[in-house]
Amino acid sequence: MSITEKPWYPLAYMFAVTAVFSGVLIGFSALTQDRVDRNEQIFLQRAILIATGAAAENTPGEEISRIFNERVEPAEKDGIVEYRLKTLDGRLQAIGVPFEGQGYWDQIRGVLGVNADRKTVTGIAFYQQNETPGLGGEIVTQQWRSQFPGKTIAVGDQPLRILQAGQTVGDNAVQAVTGATQTSVRLERMLNEDLRTWQTAFTGEGQ
Amino acid sequence: MNGSSQSTSSASLMMRGLWYENAIVRQVLGICSTLAVTNRVLNTVVMCAALVVTTALSSWTVSLMRRATPRSIRMMVETLIIAFYVILFDRFLRAYWPDMSRQLGPYVGLIITNCIILGRIEAFANSNPPLPSLVDGVANGLGYTLVLLIVATVREAMGMGTFMGLALPLFSGPLWDRWILLVMPPGAFFTLALVIWGFRSIGMMRREET
Repeated sequence: MSITEKPWYPLAYMFAVTAVFSGVLIGFSALTQDRVDRNEQIFLQRAILIATGAAAENTPGEEISRIFNERVEPAEKDGIVEYRLKTLDGRLQAIGVPFEGQGYWDQIRGVLGVNADRKTVTGIAFYQQNETPGLGGEIVTQQWRSQFPGKTIAVGDQPLRILQAGQTVGDNAVQAVTGATQTSVRLERMLNEDLRTWQTAFTGEGQ
Repeated sequence: MNGSSQSTSSASLMMRGLWYENAIVRQVLGICSTLAVTNRVLNTVVMCAALVVTTALSSWTVSLMRRATPRSIRMMVETLIIAFYVILFDRFLRAYWPDMSRQLGPYVGLIITNCIILGRIEAFANSNPPLPSLVDGVANGLGYTLVLLIVATVREAMGMGTFMGLALPLFSGPLWDRWILLVMPPGAFFTLALVIWGFRSIGMMRREET
């Protein structure tokens, strides 16, 4: 009776095969863990720097980390975090306010940048979203996001508005993506909720 | 099927995978991902690359191990091998191409359940030597790629007016009203159905000629 006909052979074979293949996977995971962690961090760091105008879309990852470590400091108050971008001589230049909430398909996470006056918007950037490509997914395009710089955050219930086509956009409003009502409504809601809590937490700072 | 004499020459394997026995058009296998990832050409290309690599390497590995693997547990071993390559690819994207990894989301992982891979392993790699199995995997992966690229090009061009993210002259102009439906999931059904219809009609014409 050859070894392959022994009753325990399939069991031993399965164990051996599983051990070998998992071993390789575990090894590869461990090898790339640092890189993956760094990539995750860079997503947030890039969003903060783009929103505050300190980096461009195509700035490479290493450069993002370098600028971030050099010029950005997180500040926390009442459990709310903001990211303060300093000028090279140490003055406050802009602030990245993170926001997140449920989009149409999946969680949306992003950063809204405001000037040192805490009112004028410098930009917006997203580091996680899974909206319909071509529709809600358009929120990540430069074209859509370019509506934000220069807008002013209002005090009150709705600091920033995202309006349907046809409505005139005022000083604190941008135009929604056509055909992506759900994404726009949800994005407006999460932006306003997180902006309000941020305004409340940091009231009186740098005004 | 015309070309399905059991020849294992590389050329014949390629023709079968790409055309005569095209997994999507002929066997309507693996269409879940056809529907999911085809609204952007670039995403489709990466997804197809993943599928070609996984199908080819899984077939090759299964074939290498085919004499040692007991028949009673062969499915478990096959699934394990497929999962191994898919996870490897997914991890590779996360480490070296994080933006793409974000965009494809869970779909790379779902390659594990792509019927084409297990189908080729069961139908071919199980009973053929490693090298033809590798070729067979590549051929079927490319057959899948061919159909997906057509679907993705149609959807992205007519739905978004772009190709690989670059604006196309006619479709991004004011004369073209973008077909938003094509970008949404139902758009894939319509496009795929038309592509299968077209391919099969051509195939039928060929058969009548011979």
